[in-house]
Amino acid sequence: MKEHTGIFIEGMRKRYGEGDTAVDALKDVNMRVMPGEVIGLIGPSGSGKSTLLKCLGAVVEPTAGRMTLGNKVIYDNGWLIKDLRALRRDNIGFVFQAPYLIPFLDVTDNVALLPMLAGRSNAESRKRAVELLEALDVAHRAKAMPSQLSGGEQQRVAIARALVNQPPVILADEPTAPLDSQRALSVIRILNQMAQQYQTAIIVVTHDEKIIPTFKRIYHIRDGGTHEEVGEGKDLE
Amino acid sequence: MISLAARDVLHTWGKFVFTGVGLGLLIGVTLTMAGVYRGMVDDAKVLLNNSGADMWVVQKNTLGPYAEPSSIHDDLYRSILSMPGVARAANVTYLTMQVQQGERDVRAMVVGIIPDGPGEPGYLLAGRQITRSHYEAVADIATGFELGQTIRIRRHNYTVVGLTRRMVSSGGDPMVFIPLRDAQEAQFLKDNDAIINERSRTAANPAFSRPEVLDAIISSQSSNPFVNAILVQIKPGFTAEKVAEPIQRWQKLQVYTRDQMEEILVAKLIATSSKQIGMFLVILAIVSAAIVAFIIYTLTMGKIREIAVLKLIGTRNRTIAGMIMQQAVGLGLIGFVVGKVSATIWAPMFPKYVLLESGDALRGFIAIVIICILASLLAIRAALNVDPAEAIGG
Amino acid sequence: MKKLPINMRTATLLVVLLPLLLAFGYVVTNSGPLAPTPVTVMTVEKQSITPALFGIGTVEARYRYRVGPTMTGRLLSLNRDVGDRVIAGEILGEMDPIDMDDRVTANKAAIKRATASIAAAEAHVNDLAARTEYSGAQAKRYQQLTIDRNASTEAAEAKNQEYRVAKAGLAVAIATLNVAQQELEMLQAEHEGLLQQRSNLRLVAPVEGVITSRHIEPGSTAMAGQTILEIIDPKSIWINVRFNQLQSNELIKGLPATIVLRSRSNQPASGTVARIELLADPVTEEMLAKVVFEQLPEPSPPIGELTEVTVLLPQLDAAPVVPNASIKQLDGQSGVWRVEGDRLQFTPIETGISDLDGRVQITKGLEVGDQVVVYSKQALTARSRITTVDSLVGSGS
Repeated sequence: MKEHTGIFIEGMRKRYGEGDTAVDALKDVNMRVMPGEVIGLIGPSGSGKSTLLKCLGAVVEPTAGRMTLGNKVIYDNGWLIKDLRALRRDNIGFVFQAPYLIPFLDVTDNVALLPMLAGRSNAESRKRAVELLEALDVAHRAKAMPSQLSGGEQQRVAIARALVNQPPVILADEPTAPLDSQRALSVIRILNQMAQQYQTAIIVVTHDEKIIPTFKRIYHIRDGGTHEEVGEGKDLE
Repeated sequence: MISLAARDVLHTWGKFVFTGVGLGLLIGVTLTMAGVYRGMVDDAKVLLNNSGADMWVVQKNTLGPYAEPSSIHDDLYRSILSMPGVARAANVTYLTMQVQQGERDVRAMVVGIIPDGPGEPGYLLAGRQITRSHYEAVADIATGFELGQTIRIRRHNYTVVGLTRRMVSSGGDPMVFIPLRDAQEAQFLKDNDAIINERSRTAANPAFSRPEVLDAIISSQSSNPFVNAILVQIKPGFTAEKVAEPIQRWQKLQVYTRDQMEEILVAKLIATSSKQIGMFLVILAIVSAAIVAFIIYTLTMGKIREIAVLKLIGTRNRTIAGMIMQQAVGLGLIGFVVGKVSATIWAPMFPKYVLLESGDALRGFIAIVIICILASLLAIRAALNVDPAEAIGG
Repeated sequence: MKKLPINMRTATLLVVLLPLLLAFGYVVTNSGPLAPTPVTVMTVEKQSITPALFGIGTVEARYRYRVGPTMTGRLLSLNRDVGDRVIAGEILGEMDPIDMDDRVTANKAAIKRATASIAAAEAHVNDLAARTEYSGAQAKRYQQLTIDRNASTEAAEAKNQEYRVAKAGLAVAIATLNVAQQELEMLQAEHEGLLQQRSNLRLVAPVEGVITSRHIEPGSTAMAGQTILEIIDPKSIWINVRFNQLQSNELIKGLPATIVLRSRSNQPASGTVARIELLADPVTEEMLAKVVFEQLPEPSPPIGELTEVTVLLPQLDAAPVVPNASIKQLDGQSGVWRVEGDRLQFTPIETGISDLDGRVQITKGLEVGDQVVVYSKQALTARSRITTVDSLVGSGS
């Protein structure tokens, strides 16, 4: 089990454009998520939510600030890491609104792809994949193609994929939006389980009323700035 | 690492193979067009090779006998035979006309040859060469005639005694070989109505009203002492140029060696047609390339979402590019195989000879691979420009 | 665990792709330069062949008689027509005598006149003969009187003179009589001539036969020597055959022949070579011969009909034989492609006689048992790869 220190952001700013027409999508964001925590990130559209996610996911370069991931400073007013793609591959797991599974790979290979990309052997990658699929109770569909799975099953496979490389951080973007309340809670339950098991810091971007009560900590974002709030932390059962 | 290209293909193999077959047919058409061009040039060469001649003696200042009509007396060959270096010399006539068999008629080049002479077909598929001095024929199999059948040329019936192959005129018409005398008559005498007409015109001329004179004139009008060319084979140890020079000087005839004849046929006779086909071939190749590029580009664009996700989850650019290029080349390979097979299958059905050269197939293969790679580069560029952030909704 | 979908997919894919690859493999090995040339092969055997000569002939009549006037004139009448049978001496027609009869009459009249002239001349001669006799007697008498001195010498001279004059006159009269007699002879000869000519105006059949053509109708002018009717003897029909000079040194009189008339191509008739012409045709390079029917076919073939004549020469002794399709020319030599193992070897040969079915005797170069290429799909070289098949036609190209 890796030792994570979660994710830590200080004074992040993202400006689009120049001069008079410049727009600050993010003004001054501070955020801290510890390993094993599942926090919510809530905000209306246009609040900079997506921009923040993209910065967290190392797909967009912030204009200023400091970001620590795992136990590495990866951004300090400029990327300190050269290979962002490898950074993403090894350190960030993504769970989207839609599962976005690769349609031409079967369930096992969809998950095993990530360790393979990281250089692990095919056999080992598949072994790890199956472990996770079992943990997510979807191993009985290991040989199926994504199109043959139900929405919930696909989402669980996507979560498995996000976890397989044991990244310190998982970014989940509206993972429960298309689901009904029972399934939504089930997903959150799984995320919490995984976070505990693998000591991953999970940030869930959402506005789904069904699951907001379950977060112990919530960040609200508005007009490019965040403030923290203690959540209800409702028990999931 | 698994092969993303292979998995993608396996997943949508129907579409992939279908596209490959479609592409293959297009490639097959292009290969066939190249074959048509080569076939035309080969027809010209084969005409020269199959005549068995080292030299052609024709009417002065003509490009005959294939490119231009040529007419020389049929007793000139005797003086040619006596010239140094000449091993064999024989008269030959050529006339493209309709040959009837049963209910149908076939367009053929009727060649008048001396049995056992240089103009005889060099190899047979069945039957035998002509032995009788009249009314026998050896036909190219492209005429559709069979051994033993009776064919009609002008006013006489001929028995097909031999079959041969690849004996064609430069225009691609199959050849029918008949004895020289019969061919001379066929070239000269028209049908019965025309002959009767001619006779009555001669009889109406008052200068010929003496009885014996009229008969003599009519009989001289009914004979044809001309042939189109003399085919010459030279003795070993002599060159065509050396043998040709005295003939040209003293006999006041035109002599062409094999190389000169080839130049006449290829450069002059079929030049326009071959340029026509050549241009069409170029356009076809360009269009094929464009379509291949378009197909590959479209296939890639249909995978934009997957590519974005792959990029987001950390797939190397190199891996994504490799996937696209492998698919493109795979498509090209299927296309080439389908193209070569289909071209080989339908080439014999063409009315004229289609020559599918291995060199052309190889060139086509290399061209397809290059085009596929270039086309995939276009798609790869588009793919690499995809922002992984697209995967994260707005 | 659902393993099936993937395996089935792979299996279906293989089912589609494998035949394609096999087809490709087939195409590569069977066309283009890698493909071997199909040929048929035969073993050289000793065979006894029957050479034959082939020629085209026309039906002709051996003798053709052209009947016409010896003098230009107008045809008066014609009694017979084409197809009629005539006998020797039969009168077929007549030229218009025009003034011939009048000329005969004139001639007769002239003869009469000549006869009368002769009578007159004879009378004249008699008359003068009497006078000459008288003046001769007188001259003699006066001569006697002169001797007796009863008459003057002058008178005797004068009587002598009279005598001489009378004798001369008699000579003239005799000469005139001769002239008249010659003239009579001439007119009589003319008479014979006119009668001959008169009979020549009749057209007479010279032999028994059949009229084959009628060229001039009564009323038209015919020139001397022009043919009015042609007659042939139908039993004297024969065939004038032309043989290519190259092959016909074996042609001798008496050889058997098969005759195929163009109008009766499925009823060959038999015949014999009757005559080889001494004069060949230098322009067409053909030898001429005459072939007669053994039995004249019924109905008689028309004159001028084309025939194909095949003369069978004596059968030759058995010798190695190859079909003429095997014989090729390479570098100025005649030869065949011999199969040795799976390689080809060009073997120069010398040929002897051949028959009309294309079988050629080999006098030098091959032995019985040699394998020789007969038919091939394309021209062969020493480096060609071959594959032996039974037949090259009927199996597609």
